[in-house]
Amino acid sequence: MILLLSLTVAVLFGSGAYLLMKRDLLRVAAGIILISNSSVLFIMAAALYRGVAPIYPLPANGKISDPLVQSMALTAIVISFGFTTLLLSLIYRVYVLHHSVDQEDLADAERLADEALEPEHVWR
Amino acid sequence: MVALPLAIAWFGAVLLAPLNGRKRWVGWLAIALLSANLGTLVWLSVDVLRHGAQQVVAGGWEPGVGITLRADELGVVFAVVSIGALLVALAYEVINGVHESFFPTLVLFMATGLTGIFLTGDVFNFYVFFEISMASAFVLSGYGRQGQQMRAALIFIVVNLLGSVIFLSGITALYHVTGTLDMGQISRFMGEQRASSSILIGVLLLVAFSIKLGLFPFHFWLPPIYRDSWPAVAAIFAGALANIGSYGLIRFGAELLEPELRFGAPVLLFLGSVSIIYGALQAITVRTAREALAYSAIGNAGYILIGLAIGGSAGYFAAVFFALVNPVNKVILFLASDLHGWLAGAAFAVGTFSVAGIPPSAGFFGKLLLFRASIDAGNAWLVGLIFVGSALSLLYMLRIYQRGYWADGIPGTLSPFRARSLVLSVAILVVGVGLWPEPLLSVGQKAADVLLTGGH
Repeated sequence: MILLLSLTVAVLFGSGAYLLMKRDLLRVAAGIILISNSSVLFIMAAALYRGVAPIYPLPANGKISDPLVQSMALTAIVISFGFTTLLLSLIYRVYVLHHSVDQEDLADAERLADEALEPEHVWR
Repeated sequence: MVALPLAIAWFGAVLLAPLNGRKRWVGWLAIALLSANLGTLVWLSVDVLRHGAQQVVAGGWEPGVGITLRADELGVVFAVVSIGALLVALAYEVINGVHESFFPTLVLFMATGLTGIFLTGDVFNFYVFFEISMASAFVLSGYGRQGQQMRAALIFIVVNLLGSVIFLSGITALYHVTGTLDMGQISRFMGEQRASSSILIGVLLLVAFSIKLGLFPFHFWLPPIYRDSWPAVAAIFAGALANIGSYGLIRFGAELLEPELRFGAPVLLFLGSVSIIYGALQAITVRTAREALAYSAIGNAGYILIGLAIGGSAGYFAAVFFALVNPVNKVILFLASDLHGWLAGAAFAVGTFSVAGIPPSAGFFGKLLLFRASIDAGNAWLVGLIFVGSALSLLYMLRIYQRGYWADGIPGTLSPFRARSLVLSVAILVVGVGLWPEPLLSVGQKAADVLLTGGH
């Protein structure tokens, strides 16, 4: 089970890292989603185990499942959800401005804008 | 009392969120709230420096169960410097006119995150506050550009999200090994046990904080964002946000994972030296002042790593002191580089001298302490490196100064007097610390002692 989970984490992280190197910004966003989900899975793989729900009063015998891991995983999910939204809205902004989500097009557009500003922008 | 500065910043941020930040009174309200946050932090630090660390457990749980807020000497000095830098940048922007309505509330949210990071005793809480300040930074990176220059911001966001995931994996692994999230308990456990995976955890945390701080192999996102962002935002990034990286390296490296830090000292020494030389050489070759300052930030981050690698009382003291003085220099330089007039020129000159380590400036003592630590360690090679690094930084800083303030026919009108005097007053503070360094030196020594005693 541990081997299976760690393999899943590795595959998710690896595919995410591969997508991060793509020119298409939507693929980059997909890569970030995969990577943050791999970290959530990593949290659960690291410390979650089966047990009774950790609600007071605790049962005298029997294993209690660790509530900290669950709250950590939940927090990580919420945070990665927020950042994904932010990233996607920024990519949409790029699309509205440049009508493209390709990094090369964006770089070209910015180089042109830079050259137009060049004279007064150097050394100030 | 520990929770008070955090509460002020947090409620202040929520209060400002629906208001239009472009209105003058909203800007001044934000300044008032941030000043209240800074005031309570200063009050807290005086108390902590006199009577020792304070601790509050949230929700009335017993220590070890609930989430702890902890204010010790190291945390409060970093909090005061970072919030001070935020306040200067916010005041500068309000004086010059805020461009987009979200600016004041985001600065307050970043203040919430930073206050939380420096006043927490719980590693997962550290992560949550870290993400609050990163989220504000991501939005601020696009500030004032009407959506232009988005590429640098996107690279900044993607690289730092990756860094956050690495940090989260590091603290999960730390929890897996130690079974606790409390910094004091982790520090004690790591001091007693030798876990085989602890080196890997150390590497994960080093990479995560190096990305935040922009150390040599992880720096590539930093120059574009420092070049393309608004001056006040660049000052916030260099003066407040980068402190997360230096504080994290000092706190996690020197306190929580001390044996691993000693084991990895040669690697830190190598990365630090390469950062110093690489940053200085790049700063000499680039074409714009802002880029040169960005590479200078990379080089200066290397000195903190050198201090940590030397270790011991002298090494940690040098690292802490340097990490406290460096952001103040950067705030002066980034803000002054966009102003015109001789007041700004004087402030820029002070920043130049402080980065190069020429007396009387606070930066001189940072370099002096590093020299002393490397002489104590008996490492002549390090003494030479710090000397060469300082000489190179004087060279590139004077070059920026010459091009920016001495060259003829620089376009631009005189900037607002209040903005120039604000930057100059920070510069006077730096000179003041250089002339009368005893208070800051004793505070820095106390903060560094926390690392050696464990502070618990």
